[in-house]
Amino acid sequence: MAAKRHVIVGGGTAGWNAITAIREADKGASEITLVADEAPYARMVLPYYLGRQIGETHVLTAGPQRLAALKVTTRLGRRAARVDAAGGKLILDNGDEVPYDDLLIATGSSAVRPPVPGADGAGVHSFWTLPQARAVSGGIQPGARVAMIGAGFIAFTILNALVARGARLTVLEIAPRILPRMVDDAAARIVQAWLEERGVAVRPGVQVTAIEDAGGAKRVRLKAGAPVEADLVIMATGIRPNLEWLKGSGVEVKAGIVVDARMRSSVPNIYAAGDVAEGPDRVTGAKAVHAIEPTAVQHGRVAGANMAGREVAYPGSLLMNIVDVLDLEIASFGAWDDAKAEAFEDLLPGRPSYRKLLFRGGRLVGAILLGRTREIWATNDVGMLKGLVYTGKDLSAWKARLKARPQDIRLAYLATGTAKELLPQTLLGGPSVPERDVTVNA
Amino acid sequence: MRVLKIIPERCTGCMRCELACSYEQTGTFQPSKAVIRVSSFEGHTSYAPYTCPQCAEAWCLTACPVEAIGISPAGAKEVMDDICVGCKLCTIACPYGTVFYDPDSHKAFKCDLCGGKPACATVCPTQAILYVEAGTEDWLGSFAAERALPGALAGVR
Amino acid sequence: MADTPYAYAGRILRVDLSTGRIWADPFPGADRRRWIGGAGLGAKILWEEVPAHAGWDHPDNRLVLATGPLAGLPVWGTGGLTVVTRGALTNGATSTQANGFFGANLKFCGYDAIVFQGQSPKWVYLHVTDDKVELRDASSLLGKDTWETQQALEAELRLTGHRLSVYSIGPAGEKLARFAAIQGDYGHVASKNGCGAVMGKKRVKAVAIERGAKGVAAAHPHALLATSEEMAHSLKTDPSTSSLYQYGTLPGVRNLHGMGALPIRNYTTNVWPEGVDVKLWEAKSLREGFDHRGHQCSACGMHHCHMQVIRSGPHKGELVDEPEYEGWAGAGWAIGATDPQQVSWLNTRLDRACLDVNEFGWLCGWVMECQQKGYITDKDLGFRLEWGDVEGAGRLIQMICRREGMGDLLAEGVKIASEKIGGKAAECAIYTMKGESPRGHDHRSRWEEMLDTCTASSGTIDSGPAVFPTEFGLPARISPQDPVAVARQVGTLRGRRHFEDSLGACIFTTRVPIDLLCRSLAAATGWDFRRDEAIRAGRRAVTLMRAFNLRCGIGPGIEKPSKRYGSTPVDGPIAGVSIMDQWEKLLDTWYETTGYDRASGRPLPETLRALGLEDVIEPLWGAGARA
Repeated sequence: MAAKRHVIVGGGTAGWNAITAIREADKGASEITLVADEAPYARMVLPYYLGRQIGETHVLTAGPQRLAALKVTTRLGRRAARVDAAGGKLILDNGDEVPYDDLLIATGSSAVRPPVPGADGAGVHSFWTLPQARAVSGGIQPGARVAMIGAGFIAFTILNALVARGARLTVLEIAPRILPRMVDDAAARIVQAWLEERGVAVRPGVQVTAIEDAGGAKRVRLKAGAPVEADLVIMATGIRPNLEWLKGSGVEVKAGIVVDARMRSSVPNIYAAGDVAEGPDRVTGAKAVHAIEPTAVQHGRVAGANMAGREVAYPGSLLMNIVDVLDLEIASFGAWDDAKAEAFEDLLPGRPSYRKLLFRGGRLVGAILLGRTREIWATNDVGMLKGLVYTGKDLSAWKARLKARPQDIRLAYLATGTAKELLPQTLLGGPSVPERDVTVNA
Repeated sequence: MRVLKIIPERCTGCMRCELACSYEQTGTFQPSKAVIRVSSFEGHTSYAPYTCPQCAEAWCLTACPVEAIGISPAGAKEVMDDICVGCKLCTIACPYGTVFYDPDSHKAFKCDLCGGKPACATVCPTQAILYVEAGTEDWLGSFAAERALPGALAGVR
Repeated sequence: MADTPYAYAGRILRVDLSTGRIWADPFPGADRRRWIGGAGLGAKILWEEVPAHAGWDHPDNRLVLATGPLAGLPVWGTGGLTVVTRGALTNGATSTQANGFFGANLKFCGYDAIVFQGQSPKWVYLHVTDDKVELRDASSLLGKDTWETQQALEAELRLTGHRLSVYSIGPAGEKLARFAAIQGDYGHVASKNGCGAVMGKKRVKAVAIERGAKGVAAAHPHALLATSEEMAHSLKTDPSTSSLYQYGTLPGVRNLHGMGALPIRNYTTNVWPEGVDVKLWEAKSLREGFDHRGHQCSACGMHHCHMQVIRSGPHKGELVDEPEYEGWAGAGWAIGATDPQQVSWLNTRLDRACLDVNEFGWLCGWVMECQQKGYITDKDLGFRLEWGDVEGAGRLIQMICRREGMGDLLAEGVKIASEKIGGKAAECAIYTMKGESPRGHDHRSRWEEMLDTCTASSGTIDSGPAVFPTEFGLPARISPQDPVAVARQVGTLRGRRHFEDSLGACIFTTRVPIDLLCRSLAAATGWDFRRDEAIRAGRRAVTLMRAFNLRCGIGPGIEKPSKRYGSTPVDGPIAGVSIMDQWEKLLDTWYETTGYDRASGRPLPETLRALGLEDVIEPLWGAGARA
């Protein structure tokens, strides 16, 4: 029997995890072809590259040797142009055809910029891909004025690096508060004050109308208020999944590629994972795009295992984010903005310390946690909050207690046997460590 | 493999495990760096240590974007400091709450079973922590359920 | 850092309550080695900073909460603090210890000690973290007992368990009862000489210390871990400590009764009253007579501190801390109460109201005796208080805490109260003429302790019970009524206890051979530290406290027991044996052994020189004496 041909489009987190899951399962028996415009790298750690804590090689997930060791054929520097689902082949941007038995679409997202005059001009950057990170890094000098347009998660992941590189930062956000899709008003206020106290100018509720050249620098014009002069402008105004190339393929696309619990699209031998996939949400049970790293990991692993012939059902992903800005830890989980949930908020007077627990009935459906990273007795509860939201443990007996003493989340976690419920749960039985098993000459 | 078996009924809350653990982790006695942590139940009348169960899923390991977490010969999921960038993903991926972020080193840290000779088990004066051949379990669940609320001792209000 | 000291934080937290100013002073290397910490550091601060005119209630008095080099390390029982101040009962030096987690948490916040001075204009509590220290409004805590105070602060600061250590005063301290104590972490009490009244006078309701993120380094950590295991082994296996390891001080009741040293009904008898179930008072019964759970101090493996639930009687179901021997005596035998369930309730009431259990026992026993004999009428007191009436004793606590009726006088302690009432009532009160409360034994059969209490400079005993006396060339056992042997022992051992009390360690877990203790300190600090230096350091501390007292006018003329305290037992094992017949001989020998001047009480210049206290010679002996 001919070896099965797996084709993976995209070398980011989802694609890479699919490769290791396949190899863990088949020990090298199949053919894997990776189509990607760059060698696999970890987008998540680009902020540390920008901060010069790590070099570029640290960002790379796998170089040629490792890919070869895993028996992965690569088509790097190429993009997928279209899918011929009926013919079972992928057509690349240079016209090459790559036949497949099954295909994983893991093409991730791209940064988007608002339709503002000058947004595409020189000195205006996105920060999403490795080449973009290189460009931003090359443009920062100590003392440089940086205008960050957008105050979402992506922007916040690079604040530390920019400050460490000596940039003088102004953060502009169109929404009335910063981190509008990660935390609530109360948390956003604390974070804004924290940044301002540390010399970062923060201006929520402003609309950029134009970005102009200004004598070698840039001028960001606003609908109201004084314009902002900057040496460098970073547009962190959101991302969009890379789906256009699938038009006409027959693959059903809503907000993302609609996938079932095995990460299969409407075309049975086409899988999707990561930012492009609209998969099950752990809390709501509905389908949703969770463009976050942990979901990409799990999507990729589940897709890979299923492609390799295992029957693995994905229990759903949990929306969660964590970011540290100038030693303030900000984390949110699940339905943190569920307006219909019963919410317990706890704000400590005189400290940047905030906790919000959201319940639907007895179940914790979402949470926000904010605190200085050094206040470990509070911030270290993030994992247990995750465990409680993830398992949906019945906390009915604990709600009143947690309302009065939100610090007792540890006790609620332990006393409801959350660990007992979690221990038998695994996606694939354990982590994939394929190098151990792959026989190159199989 | 050998695991840290916790017998919470024996714990008296002296926190010596935290001291020894932090010493192994950092070379100083510094409970903020301990990866075993003692919780107090029923007000101050019951205590129990809690640490990484070295779960099969290895949530932390799979979540790491730079493969900074490996599996040691002792079977522990172990953070390699030179690779970890401190992105904290493992701290929210782990649903057990046993992977931590060190605000001084800017790295993640967690129980590594002290390379097969866990200090917490060695120093516990009441043998509430054992290092034994066993399957990992939720050692605290039923104890905590019984004693979680203040005054649970002998049914006190 | 230029000075990253092993075993120390290297900083002393200073709080001026009058101005609200908070700062940190360095604790430099030379001072660390000279004063060690705890009692030693406190003695230095008292001597250098509290002038003679500044009495216990003066803003210039200092309240020192000091830990020591072993605190926060894995040596058993090293969460403690030593409170040093000018105390309210003697108006002289005080050194009194409590345990729990205060000392460990304080070190993890980066401080070796807290020194309060001045007086706050309003009630405050001190909140200590590793990067911020502040005085916070304590008005919502007023009137709360010590356990309620800790619970309220846990809720306010969102912390649980040992992540927060709280030491506070109860209502008794707020009302300046002269035997008010400072209590912490549910059951640990620095009880002596009215240190709680000093805290109350300064209007500090509580000190709340978070388990900070800083570390404590040891010079030779492996050696430290090894010596701490050696110490643990010694505590478990040495015949002098094995029962302490297993049962804490619970065996004391039976043991001391056998010697005639259990204080029964205000020293009116040394025989168990009729009908007492002796079996209930075995250590094992005291432990197992309750639903109990371990509640140990930092790093401790002793089966000592416990929380327990009362099983029977009017307070069935209440959570209390297992009484120390002192509690069984002060809240029990001294007042004729003989039901352990009831006694343990009263003991915790005292901890929560925050009064010294010893002084309360002498005070309440005295009131009971005076009632029985008609010296204090029901009308005087407001009700009838019979021997063994635990509920009535509880009522007395309330009266003292509120200074209601006769409670206002009783809050001054038994010495002042009995002197005020005078007449025959004055003759039945147990105290020392300096004012400190004897511990909870009948010292008429424990001469070493009566001598120690009366000559002490620290507001309680100075030398304490003999620990490995042969290490100091003393016999393993002495006849408890041999005045020369007794005084030599007390005088020779002088220093050991204050060395222990400078370490930040519990005086129970330091009951190991002194060389082992020194090795432990050496491993922690990196010092070449031997027993001679240890004893000199302890003697330096206690001798400086004596010098402080002399400067304050507290001299040898009042180094004696009250009439009842020094009376002759009428029954029991030593009926008819009088300590007062031998008192002068005891003092003569003690002064000769300690190198202090018998007539003036002053440490002799050569004694001071030998302790490196040359600077104290001139203040005590005048100019010219120094050479």
